[in-house]
Amino acid sequence: MNMIKVKNLSKKLGDFTLEDIELSVKEGEYFCILGPTGSGKTILLETIAGIYNPDTGSIIINGNDVSSLLPKDRNISMVYQDFMLFPNMDVRKNIAFGLYYNGFDKSQITELAEETAEMLGIRHLLDRHPSTLSGGEKQRSAVARAIITEPKLLLLDEPLSALDTVTKVKLRQELSRIHQLKKTTTIHVTHSFEEAFALSDRIAVMHGGKILQIGTPDEVFRKPNSTFVADFVGVENLFHGKAVIQGDLAEISVNRLKVVSSTLKSGNVSLSIRPEDILISNDPIESSARNSFSGVVAEVSRMKSTVKVVIDAGIPFRVILTKRDYDDMGLSIGKKVYLTFKASATHII
Amino acid sequence: MQKMGFKQTTLVLMLLLTLFIFSLLLEIITHTSPASLITNIVSPEIRFAIKLSLLTSIASTLMCIFLAIPVSYALSRHDFPGKTLISTILDMPMALPPIVAGLGLLLIFGTSTVGTYLAGVGLKFVFTPLGIVMAQFTVNISLMLRIMRSTFEGINPRYEHVAQTLGCTPFQAFIKTTLPLSKNGILAGSVITWSRGMGEFGAVLMLAGATRMKTETLPIALYLNLSSGELDLAIAAATILICISGITLYLFERKGGIAKLY
Repeated sequence: MNMIKVKNLSKKLGDFTLEDIELSVKEGEYFCILGPTGSGKTILLETIAGIYNPDTGSIIINGNDVSSLLPKDRNISMVYQDFMLFPNMDVRKNIAFGLYYNGFDKSQITELAEETAEMLGIRHLLDRHPSTLSGGEKQRSAVARAIITEPKLLLLDEPLSALDTVTKVKLRQELSRIHQLKKTTTIHVTHSFEEAFALSDRIAVMHGGKILQIGTPDEVFRKPNSTFVADFVGVENLFHGKAVIQGDLAEISVNRLKVVSSTLKSGNVSLSIRPEDILISNDPIESSARNSFSGVVAEVSRMKSTVKVVIDAGIPFRVILTKRDYDDMGLSIGKKVYLTFKASATHII
Repeated sequence: MQKMGFKQTTLVLMLLLTLFIFSLLLEIITHTSPASLITNIVSPEIRFAIKLSLLTSIASTLMCIFLAIPVSYALSRHDFPGKTLISTILDMPMALPPIVAGLGLLLIFGTSTVGTYLAGVGLKFVFTPLGIVMAQFTVNISLMLRIMRSTFEGINPRYEHVAQTLGCTPFQAFIKTTLPLSKNGILAGSVITWSRGMGEFGAVLMLAGATRMKTETLPIALYLNLSSGELDLAIAAATILICISGITLYLFERKGGIAKLY
């Protein structure tokens, strides 16, 4: 069941253009729009929210064309990268803002504001001024302000980009938790493939105002339909798997392969291994590294000064070699090789 | 040695200039004795001029605020063909000598069709206090527009976007976010506009004329009394104008930064 459908949408605004955008997001889905800066992602979100009128095309929500409605009548909330907490109000007033315009009475407003703040772990900050909050706290407040009105659709515009790495990971998990809890249909815009991979049910890759590919994270990652998508999603090794904690390590089953990580997390996880952390050899290596697999060379692509090799070990690993190493090892498609990497090189994201 | 010489030269020039300006002000204020200064300030004519200047400048400032807010909002938030041309035209009164603006006003509101019609419905601008308000408004609106425009441009439109998604109409969103955030700009703009209104001479002279006890604002009082040799009254008017400028400058320094626009 499609909750929102964007049909044939075009919009020109200053230097930005959206061209023929077609996408639909299912009820309860977490949908990521992935693209580099300047690809028109923010304008797409703002057009869906009703800030701008489309030049052509339409936006259908639950079967109704909302293209000509004011933002306030669309029941869509939006969170920006730079938080946009109202500086003339404290956190409580910020969070409760939407309730004042939707017919809630005073006691309901107080109750809902506290409940929502509690959910995001910022109840103790309610009387603070936004300028005194950390980046993570600001974004939690902005998310609270957006979800308090129980929107049909939640739009997140690079919500994690302005945060430091540690806060970013925490808040990403928080977004995932809130989505599981509320099941609000969500469109999340990001330029980080890792973020999209970890959070989304489906991804749309956008570039130059156009959508290039839509699919599950695995589809987009394994079968990019253009060189742009392939380059943009990068050469990271990203997998989904199920993790079990065993002693001081986590063992993650990815297909039939068992990968060991020193990040302790269990359940369904996403993991990444940087290509430069993987050692490739013709013979098995004796070392303290916990992950060692055999596989065959499945794909070779020569780049400027390096060679990218895909090794099929049950799951495809991408490895980067210098041209010299590649020639010295005498690699070619179909050759059997060994892969070795440390448990600490396996990042659970 | 040469470097020191250069430094000293600049410092000496700075001191000379400061001394020059300071002595101008001092000369006016100390020209009459304090007792006679006070007597002249409370004289009926100067009291009338103070009252008229206050009333007209407050009225013209309010007009500037109420027009500058929506107009500068349109200029800061929207793009449209001819925007550069419109913005140049709106800037013109600031660059124009006030006496030229006054001439234009006199031609529009004088014996023209518009002027005759307006006079017919009771809005007489020529040689009336209403003309003073109109003259001050015309000369000062550009500056108020500039200040408000740069204020609005400094406020992220996304505050309004968020407010709109949370249930506000575009107007409510503006009232709840951008307007309170532009408080300092409005304040600074009002202070300058008011102070310039108090001191406006050229345009007022052209449209409202210089009639004693009728269209006699402080600058007009200065001019009239100087012409008729009543130097003490002229000095009383000038002293008040100096005080107003001092206060304005002080408020500006406190608001910092915004003074750059002036």
